[in-house]
Amino acid sequence: MTREKVKLCHIANDSARKTTFKKRKKGLLKKVSEIHTLCGTDTCAIIYGPYDNQPDVWPSNHEVERIVSKFKRMPEMKQSKKTENQNSFLRWRIMKSNEHLQKQRNDNREKEMTDVMFQTLAGKSLHSLSLMELNDLGSMIEQQLKEIDKIQSDANSIMATVAGSSSSAAAAATLLTPTPPPPPPTDHGVMMNDGDSYQAAAALMELMNHKIL
Amino acid sequence: MTRKSKGRQKVEMVKMPNESNLQVTFSKRRSGLFKKASELCTLCGADIAIVVFSPGKKVFSFGHPCVESVIDRFITRNPPPTSGTMQLIEAHRNAGVRDLNMQLTQVLNQLEAEKKRGEELTQMRKASQRQCWWQAPIEELNQPQLEHLKVSLEELKKNVGKQAEKLMIQSSAPPQYFFGSSSTGNGGIHRQFDLKNTGFSSNMPNMMHPPPPPNMMPPPPPPPPHQRYNTGFSRGFY
Repeated sequence: MTREKVKLCHIANDSARKTTFKKRKKGLLKKVSEIHTLCGTDTCAIIYGPYDNQPDVWPSNHEVERIVSKFKRMPEMKQSKKTENQNSFLRWRIMKSNEHLQKQRNDNREKEMTDVMFQTLAGKSLHSLSLMELNDLGSMIEQQLKEIDKIQSDANSIMATVAGSSSSAAAAATLLTPTPPPPPPTDHGVMMNDGDSYQAAAALMELMNHKIL
Repeated sequence: MTRKSKGRQKVEMVKMPNESNLQVTFSKRRSGLFKKASELCTLCGADIAIVVFSPGKKVFSFGHPCVESVIDRFITRNPPPTSGTMQLIEAHRNAGVRDLNMQLTQVLNQLEAEKKRGEELTQMRKASQRQCWWQAPIEELNQPQLEHLKVSLEELKKNVGKQAEKLMIQSSAPPQYFFGSSSTGNGGIHRQFDLKNTGFSSNMPNMMHPPPPPNMMPPPPPPPPHQRYNTGFSRGFY
């Protein structure tokens, strides 16, 4: 069965509608039964199709009557507190979906900004960025630096613990301590240029690669 | 990347043994159930009532046109009344539901588009990560790499600040505004970068804060125009 996206509106075609009704009704009743089995609570469903006056019910006429009576016996407020119709339910779905949309947009923005950060790190010009983008970029860089600091300080405290514990450990710690990295070449200066040339930055990167790998 | 959840698992059709799992399951499935019911009503014009009692003794119900009317119809075994007024009410209600469905569809489409974009971005990220060591997650970098990255980032930050300063001078804000706000010590430029939780502004004073020239224009009113650069995204960002 191919998964096609179904439009959320009344199906005009009679036979298509009939088929869909049959399938979905079956699926719905199955889901009702499942929730009853898994959670062990009273559950019932009444479905009137557009085609006849006899409803489909689950689990049985008798059980539905019982559960519906139980429902109606509850205080009015409890009944209405968690009741939905199409109107209220769709509004809720719209709200939830908007929340998801916002979150996804934020996530995407973050990813885009990370890209910009790496591109500008490698030498791409900042000229094309708006003030707001520069703002966000700055924020992103701050965040990265914070995280780097955290990793570095964690590593330092681990090594301090190791160094403090025993002499052999101390020897190991010495091994772990890296030689101080060479200072960044000042004549290459900045990682990004005011001009649009990637060359200086690329050369710098290559320099780093050679020293590290 | 570690998965946050196990993904789709097959569930055994027996009452769930774990109490808290049961609650979660109920909540999720009830929501999904109502969604399916809502779709059945929309697509096929069915009238439905569903009543579910929760493990916590609360009762949830969904009904179209409403729970009460469908229950009554069932109990009395009578076909629904269809007076002229009723039909009018129903038509009105259905029109409202149609609108809501259209709205929902729109949002869902946008969501799908953004998700797709998100996947594209992730793919791009992965591709560049393979080529450039400095793009790898920082947990994977060794100490010298980390240090290099740090220094480069700090340099970049300075340049971002410089560029931003340049743009602000060139922007629509009149020059006296610029100097005026800096003389108040906590003016628009600082607020520009005064992002929540980043401490970014702490680095800015030396870079961007020009020495306030003496005898300039009287301080302007507090600067909402600069505020406009600090909206929306940064709040949602972290």
